[in-house]
Amino acid sequence: MEILKTENLTKKFGGLTAVGNVNFRLQKGEIQSIIGPNGAGKSTLFKLINGELKPTQGRIWFQGEDITGLEQNVISRRGIATSYQITNIFPKLTALENVRLAVQSRRTSFNLWSKADSHRAIREKAEAILAQIGLKNRKESLAAYLSYGEQRHLEIGIALGTDPILLLLDEPTSGLSPVETRTTVNLIREISRGLSVILVEHKMKVVMDLSDKITVLHEGEVIAQGNPREIRADETVRRVYLGGVRE
Amino acid sequence: MNRPYKGVAERIYCLQFPIMTPESPWKKGLGWIADHSVFMIILVLLIIPVLMPYEALGTQMIIWGLLALGYNILYGYTGLLSFGHAAYFGLGAYGTGIVLIRTNCSLLAGIGAGVLVAGIGAVLIGFLCLRRRGIYFALLTMAFAQMLYFTANIWESLTGGEPGLRNIPHPPLEIPGLFSLNIYTPLRFYYFVFAFVALSLLILNRILESPFGKVLQGIRENEKRARAVGYHTGRVKWLSFILSGTFSGLAGALHTLYINFVGLEQLYWETSGKILLMTLLGGPGTFFGPFIGAGVFLYLEDIISGFTKYWMIVLGPIFVLCVLFFPQGIWGTIRDFADRFRRVPSPRG
Repeated sequence: MEILKTENLTKKFGGLTAVGNVNFRLQKGEIQSIIGPNGAGKSTLFKLINGELKPTQGRIWFQGEDITGLEQNVISRRGIATSYQITNIFPKLTALENVRLAVQSRRTSFNLWSKADSHRAIREKAEAILAQIGLKNRKESLAAYLSYGEQRHLEIGIALGTDPILLLLDEPTSGLSPVETRTTVNLIREISRGLSVILVEHKMKVVMDLSDKITVLHEGEVIAQGNPREIRADETVRRVYLGGVRE
Repeated sequence: MNRPYKGVAERIYCLQFPIMTPESPWKKGLGWIADHSVFMIILVLLIIPVLMPYEALGTQMIIWGLLALGYNILYGYTGLLSFGHAAYFGLGAYGTGIVLIRTNCSLLAGIGAGVLVAGIGAVLIGFLCLRRRGIYFALLTMAFAQMLYFTANIWESLTGGEPGLRNIPHPPLEIPGLFSLNIYTPLRFYYFVFAFVALSLLILNRILESPFGKVLQGIRENEKRARAVGYHTGRVKWLSFILSGTFSGLAGALHTLYINFVGLEQLYWETSGKILLMTLLGGPGTFFGPFIGAGVFLYLEDIISGFTKYWMIVLGPIFVLCVLFFPQGIWGTIRDFADRFRRVPSPRG
């Protein structure tokens, strides 16, 4: 079943076409990667899907419903969560509060009278996520004082907190050491069970390891689609992108 | 636990104290106090009239403390810098004053009217100001406050204009047929105000520790992400603005009864600045900080103005030193210290 579908999705900034006529399909439960050189329109495509930007043209369907032009918070509530490339956390809240804020957004919104810590279901869910992302022992630390690698995981934890159906991961391993990258790849494999995932990533090993399917963007347009083996063999892809990357 | 070491004061706190070993009864006792700080503060407020040179100073402190507390919901917790909180202070003050003069209503109804007027003002002004962010938001809040100031100046028949509202009646605190009490002695009036302030402290403490309070802090820390995880941040900010204005309005209403007069300067931008100064002095984003900032500000003002009429010249440098060396404010600094005694380590309080 198709969970996400875009039709002629286009975003123009003035004269520049960041995303042009992208027709993208994601099957339920699939991990699909989007690769392409810098400026290929990957992050813009994410922003169009999660509602941060409104498309100039084209439509987006999520679970069979048209979500084009909906507000970001509404799209989030439909079940699309984003983990950002540039760490986007709540610095002066604790790790636990960071995740709890995301979890509570699904369960209580205008609750002014109970103690935030007293909602057991919310706290337990947040703590389970912290354990999953390896921050169990750091839950009382302010997010600002976590190490960079820990913040990258917290970033994913916040996205998970909203109980997503579709998870958009924007370069989850950017800036991480090889060891940390391996941990993160394992984490992504673990959390993606039962979720649909779109992954934007520059590290080819990560992409090839994780993806069921790969879409290659170049100058805003899709130039190839297929499973990792097909993409590796594709002549055009080699020329515009893979050729420049040594593994 | 990681923590930042910024100022001189914080470096002093790095010293280890023997009484802070986990088994020490000292630590348990102090930890209990740190965990129940609202009640502790209320206990302290109970004896303030004894501690102050005269009761009225205590009353003034807790009224301004309440005002700064209300302001802090918006500035310290939600991260929205308002430069026009004189508006809600003034609306509460004029609302109560005008209703008490023009109608024959009871004391509590008069206060209620002031709070209501300020609340409605915050609903409207908040809605408009929140169309913009950052410095534009701050300037809009200031512009609306100044509009109210000039309106009050011109509309003499209602507000008394330049000389202000005088001869506000003194209804007793009563429930008809049950009891009636004259509260207008300095000590009684202090405890009358204290009741409102203590109740507000309890209510606000609950609100700010609630899931909603955490959303406010989330918006302060990262509004974009708060929206991305599904919060309608516009609505949350609006509610924060309304709450903030309403509590500031209560402070205004009590202030009218306190000085038995409403003057234009209550709506003036200098008042907005004073609220901000008190909040910064005490510690923005901490629960009691603004309250303590207001107390210290007024206490110093009272003492120093006894020696010289240029008290601002003395208070200015004190303020500068505080901002330089205690950027967390008085309470923020104390809180970090008290955190070392907590049974459950927590980076806030």
